[in-house]
Amino acid sequence: MSSQNKMAEFEPRIVAFLCNWCSYRGADLAGTSRFHYPPNVRIIRVMCSGSVDPVYVLEALVHGADGVLIGGCHLGECHYQKGNYKAMRRVEMLKAILHQVGIDGDRVWLRWISASEGGIFRDTVAQMVTEIRKKGPNNMRKR
Amino acid sequence: MERRIGVYICHCGLNIAATVDVKEVTESAASLRGVQIARDYMFMCSDPGQDLILSDIKEYRLNRVVVASCSPLLHERTFRRVCREAGINPYLFEMANIREHCSWVHDDGATEKAKGLVRAAVMKVYYDEPLEPMEVPIVPNTLIVGGGIAGIQAALNIANAGYKVYLVEREPSIGGHMIQLDKTFPTLDCSACILTPKMSDVGSHPNIELLTYSEIDEVSGYIGNFKVKIKKKSKYVDESKCTGCGLCFQGCPVIMKNEFDLGLADRKAIYIPFPQAVPNIAVIDKREKRPCEAACVDACPIHTNVLGYIRLIAEGRYKEAYGLIRDTNPLPAVCGRVCYAPCEEACDRGQIDESIAIRNLKRFATDQVNIDELEVPQITKTGKRVAIIGSGPAGLAAANDLALEGHEVTIFEALPEPGGMLRYAIPEYRLPKEILLKEIDYIRRLGVEIRTGVQVGQDISLAEVKRDHQAVFIATGAHGGIRLGVEGEDIAGVIEGIRFLRAVNIGEKISVGKKVAVIGGGNTAIDCARTAKRIGGEDVRVVYRRSRDEMPVSSVEVAEMEKEGVKIDFLTMPKHFLSENEGLSGMECIRMKLGEPDDSGRPRPVPIKGSEFTMPVDTVIDALGQVPETEFVQELGLSLGKMGTIEIDHKTGATNIEEVFAGGDVVTGPASVIEAIGAGKRIACSISRYLRGEPLEVEEEELGEEKLSKRDIKDLQNRFPTQKRVEIGEEPIEERVGDFREVTLGYTPSEAVTEALRCLAGQMEGCIECHECERRCDAKAIDYEMKDEIVDVEVGSIILATGYQQIDPSVIPQYGYGRYDNVITGLEFERLSDAAGPTEGQIQLKNGQPPNSVAIIHCVGSRDKNFHEYCSRVCCMFALKFAYLIKEKTKAEVYQMYIDMRCFGEGHEEFYERLSTEEDVKFIRGKPSQVTDRALTEEEKGKLIVTVEDTLLGSLIRVPVDMVILCNALEPTADAENVARLFSISRRADGFFMERHVKLDPISTMNDGIFIAGCCEGPKDITDSVAQAKAAASEVLSLLTRGKVEIEPIVASVNDEFCSGCGLCEKMCPYGALSLAEPEGVMVVNQALCKGCGSCAVICPSEAISVSHFTRLQILGQVEALAS
Repeated sequence: MSSQNKMAEFEPRIVAFLCNWCSYRGADLAGTSRFHYPPNVRIIRVMCSGSVDPVYVLEALVHGADGVLIGGCHLGECHYQKGNYKAMRRVEMLKAILHQVGIDGDRVWLRWISASEGGIFRDTVAQMVTEIRKKGPNNMRKR
Repeated sequence: MERRIGVYICHCGLNIAATVDVKEVTESAASLRGVQIARDYMFMCSDPGQDLILSDIKEYRLNRVVVASCSPLLHERTFRRVCREAGINPYLFEMANIREHCSWVHDDGATEKAKGLVRAAVMKVYYDEPLEPMEVPIVPNTLIVGGGIAGIQAALNIANAGYKVYLVEREPSIGGHMIQLDKTFPTLDCSACILTPKMSDVGSHPNIELLTYSEIDEVSGYIGNFKVKIKKKSKYVDESKCTGCGLCFQGCPVIMKNEFDLGLADRKAIYIPFPQAVPNIAVIDKREKRPCEAACVDACPIHTNVLGYIRLIAEGRYKEAYGLIRDTNPLPAVCGRVCYAPCEEACDRGQIDESIAIRNLKRFATDQVNIDELEVPQITKTGKRVAIIGSGPAGLAAANDLALEGHEVTIFEALPEPGGMLRYAIPEYRLPKEILLKEIDYIRRLGVEIRTGVQVGQDISLAEVKRDHQAVFIATGAHGGIRLGVEGEDIAGVIEGIRFLRAVNIGEKISVGKKVAVIGGGNTAIDCARTAKRIGGEDVRVVYRRSRDEMPVSSVEVAEMEKEGVKIDFLTMPKHFLSENEGLSGMECIRMKLGEPDDSGRPRPVPIKGSEFTMPVDTVIDALGQVPETEFVQELGLSLGKMGTIEIDHKTGATNIEEVFAGGDVVTGPASVIEAIGAGKRIACSISRYLRGEPLEVEEEELGEEKLSKRDIKDLQNRFPTQKRVEIGEEPIEERVGDFREVTLGYTPSEAVTEALRCLAGQMEGCIECHECERRCDAKAIDYEMKDEIVDVEVGSIILATGYQQIDPSVIPQYGYGRYDNVITGLEFERLSDAAGPTEGQIQLKNGQPPNSVAIIHCVGSRDKNFHEYCSRVCCMFALKFAYLIKEKTKAEVYQMYIDMRCFGEGHEEFYERLSTEEDVKFIRGKPSQVTDRALTEEEKGKLIVTVEDTLLGSLIRVPVDMVILCNALEPTADAENVARLFSISRRADGFFMERHVKLDPISTMNDGIFIAGCCEGPKDITDSVAQAKAAASEVLSLLTRGKVEIEPIVASVNDEFCSGCGLCEKMCPYGALSLAEPEGVMVVNQALCKGCGSCAVICPSEAISVSHFTRLQILGQVEALAS
């Protein structure tokens, strides 16, 4: 019972890297549309999902983030042609590495969210918060 | 340098302050590293807010600023400007987005999150470095995509300002949807009347380069410097030569649905979409390669457009088929009966199953017209006189063509009636005289004088003829019969074949005995034998010295003859004739065998010694062949060849005497009708050139013999199932041999269409490459070999005005579109109502009757969760306009079935008021549930019944009407997604293009330098489209006036100390901006090419590359602030 309470109290911290052209604007649209979602996500604007260095994700996890969301344009719609493909490959590799060092790779989400998909941004955050909450705190968090 | 940071937290009225405790956020910010001052204020973006920052910068000697307010996409520029004014580099400024990403989307936890976002922004600004914006010049050209009203207006505005515009339109003409509309609401201006002047302005504007039938292939570059590849689809018509005269499509045999009239009318495969098209240039709609080689056309001596007229027959356009044949062939009804049809032999279908019955189809087409009723074209006279000697097929063909050229033609004919061999040799059962005479009469009506009974060389000398005319064409044929040269040939009862046929043809009394032998194996022999059968010959035999395989005649002819009871004695030759009582009693024959091939390539018949026998006969007809009778030309000294033929230059038809030409059988010896016609036509052409003083010789295109490969044939057999040719009907044998009635009956229309549909070219969509247009085009603009072309242009800005499409209402089955003829779309109604449309403006049902009642259903596919949730914005008004037009043109009752009436523009409400009061239009508020033809009452029978809940009455009603007009939704074009990708712009959830900011930055997109106007941004009326177009033009002109543009200095740079020159970054860069510098061995960035995506920085193993304003330190600073 007490452990369940503890789980309910756990508020995961999620860092989101959103690309300037699609996902960041999708998050803006969620705002102008007043779509409510859990406040656990903190957004960092980057130019392209393909510019997200795996080190950024690792650093976020090391510094205590419980989950990392990377948002890019839909495949084929990248402002820089193929940046999101690069992100896709890199995230797959990163997940494998995380697994090796004992971190659940599913703490890192890569999603395609266009500028018109405010609703999808809201749903993605809500879903991610639920999922990460189930996983519990990230054990890499600096103690 | 010391960081002195000012942090400003905006309340945004209550937008932020209602959920975020701004005081608490301010306090927390004040304690952050480097922060000198933290304040909160009601509206940071207002003037007092900006002043606050300015004065703080001075007072606290700030060198970095953070504002926590709305999205940086909204006000980053504002605050950067403030910083710059205060002397701070604008890149030492950061925004924390605590409105869109925080206060508007959270309740609990918003304050904590806002603190975090501010912390991150302070961290970022702490590590920010000063940057200088890059200034680039703007290429002074503009690309506009889409030639509807928006594209046209924008192009004119920019071009009128003196700048170059490339206007790209996918269709063959500009005009877009607006040119399809009849009237425009609410002023009822004629749409074409107000649009076409603008269209022609575009067409003739020196600053506008119009690229129609073109699409964008590739876009690269950035604001001020876009590079665009435009794919110009091949029109197969040279735009620089085409005059838009329309002769080409008059001749085109391929009928297709006219897209401009939404398929309510037809067009040809070569077409100009509508009369006011800009550019007024034809396009060939070529969709697939023809499955056959059209060998029929090549095989025909006059290259008749066989596939063209067969296609027309298949389409049921018989008169047009006749016209097409008549254009090349002056004797189509004759050829439809007696041509030996080399086309059929060549026909590629023959290699699949059986060749097309081309001759029968030609005859069918000619049977469908009354030649006497054909109109004679207007001909401009040249005043030149041409004499033709002989009125056979060669003479008539030449006369026809020369008369059409405007020359004065006189034919001299020795015999009492014109027609030559057609009249005097071919028996009536194959070619009724009446038909021949009709065709000759038509040639007379073209102005040709035929002087019969005048034998040149006897009644008038050739020299005289030559003196009175500027050119002479000798086409006297080959009428001299060849005799066997054996003993007894002068016995009565031995008749020369051609004389025999002539006698029968002119009705002279001539009789044959019971036993008749015809000597020879050619067409004349067969004609003689079948004629002899008809005038009393009982035992008629053809005596031929070779075998069946060597007979120079079609097997069908032989079979017909044999069916009529004529026997053939092969390998038999008469030696001499025997007489008894001064009459013929028999002939002695000898049997032959086949030996070595002779000069003609056929095996030489060799007599078998001792095989002589006597054949009892009453009549013998010599039908060995004919030779020309050319004694009369000797007075002019024309050179003659063997057998008395006239020698000519075969390329031109000229004889050795100037002004004198010759052709047909008189040159070649006996040949076919179509070859004689061909000679006549070629020489007519030479004579025309001669009379114009042009060189006679022209380069003739060599027709390569393209044969289908075995593989092609196999493919064709798989594609086209075997279908035998339709046999032509014949008179019963027992009856027909008793008289001279025509043996073949001709096809019925259904037989003809079935047969015509077998033609492989008839199975194609689009152009069948019959080259009819090419033949007709005086400007020589047709080019079948034309290829698609890529045009590269450089432009500074781009306006997208790609428009919309309308939802296909058949996806809403309950409204019956596609099932009921009289359920139509709004655009279809526009075409019906348009005076230039398919019904010339008559509003009518499919049966041609005017409607007595019309229901107009609003919101079909819009404001509907199943299709489009948005309002299409124009339907209420065009529905009112429709009601007005229906009331104006018919007496019909009109019902408007609407959800809400939205009449918000200038004069719109007044128009609504007028319609609902003065015009007696019935308004029913409710969305119809169904359109059906199932009548429940007598009154509903034969009507379309619209069931609708009248929500004002609160009851379900049934409205029986004759016509239903669906106001179908405007939706994004099918390729809007591709266009958005191509130009790197975003689309809204509804699929239309997204503006940078819906309120404050319309027209602009997220991609700087690319603007949008018209319905590609969302449904709107013409007024709004034009306004947007002008706005887009003004954005472009504002850039052009500045001449240069600042672009964000977000680019990569390489730290030489760490770079090992490994080149990984080079592979990652999509723009080729990185290269290895030698001899330093380090990478360098070409900053003009770099767009700052950061791919290189991620891959660099030594972290030597960083992207300004998004450096590792700057990002990790934020990560630390937000994660911990």
